[in-house]
Amino acid sequence: MREFIDTITANPLFGVTISAFAYIFGVTVNRKLKTPFANPILIADILIISFLGILKIPYDNYSNGGAFIELFLAPATAALAVKIHQQIKELKENWLPLLAGTAVGSFVSILCVLALCRVFNLDETITISLFPKSVTTAIAVPICQSYGGIPSVTVIALVFTGIFGAVFSPMLIKIFRINNSVAAGTAIGTASHALGTTKALEIGDVEGAMSGIAIGMAGLITTIYSIFIL
Amino acid sequence: MKILKQAFVLFGICLIGQILAELIPVPFPGSVMSMVLLFILFILDWIKPKALKEVNAFLLENMAFFFIPSGVGIITQYDLIKNSVVQILIICIVSTVVTFAATAYTVKFVMGVQSKARKKRGGAEQ
Repeated sequence: MREFIDTITANPLFGVTISAFAYIFGVTVNRKLKTPFANPILIADILIISFLGILKIPYDNYSNGGAFIELFLAPATAALAVKIHQQIKELKENWLPLLAGTAVGSFVSILCVLALCRVFNLDETITISLFPKSVTTAIAVPICQSYGGIPSVTVIALVFTGIFGAVFSPMLIKIFRINNSVAAGTAIGTASHALGTTKALEIGDVEGAMSGIAIGMAGLITTIYSIFIL
Repeated sequence: MKILKQAFVLFGICLIGQILAELIPVPFPGSVMSMVLLFILFILDWIKPKALKEVNAFLLENMAFFFIPSGVGIITQYDLIKNSVVQILIICIVSTVVTFAATAYTVKFVMGVQSKARKKRGGAEQ
């Protein structure tokens, strides 16, 4: 029996199938509960990890299929160009405040992470993995890999950051008295990427569009910063 | 063949992005390079977004799916992070709040300067 399970799960089809099932399940739960806490990535990952743990399936068997899915990460990142291109009108109208906001915001984000990592005396690899955690997964993971970080730590940190941003951004707008839609949208996108943007879209059209553009700009700027800082 | 052709173009752009990323002397993610490359091709109107519609829709609608294996990888790193979970959560929360404030105030400030400059210019013309 043990040997049978090992042979079957080592087939890439196993990893792909279980991932697709877990993701569809996660999205369904998210749509039912309508709360950012029920994040599809989080639900799917917990489900897969529990399944592997219960049946004592080696991680390497799962990753045979996982590697196949990860092949699509680069094209998925490239496809973000479509999203930015769709908002080219808003981008042209507000390019200066957007550029200044994402440039300062991303810089502050990086400094804050680096400073806190030093305060907590965290391992160098963890520091590198947390460094890009405010930008979208599609850009954060490649940055993390380029500098020898651990992608899974980046993913978990940025999902948490995104959930926090999506839940608390309306409160942050009030606390910091941001009575400007462009400023609020840019801040949400820069601080909490696509997950925060889902909330920005609920707040308003301008907020949503700005947040969407800020994702791409902050991602690109963070990539450039990382060349100089890391 | 439509999907296959679209996949060919997009994967081809990614491959070129990867090559460009390898050629520049600093570490730069190939996927981000591909995003910039595709955006430039759109601006130059060499490729129309419509020409890649189906494949892009598949990738963008299911973006989160492609990151699931990266997250599962956390089980191999458990020993490394087990003592730092709380610290990592604190870092995420604090840096998100600080980043939010810094970004919002910068945008407000720049827009304020812009509208002042615009008023001044309007005033001078009159």
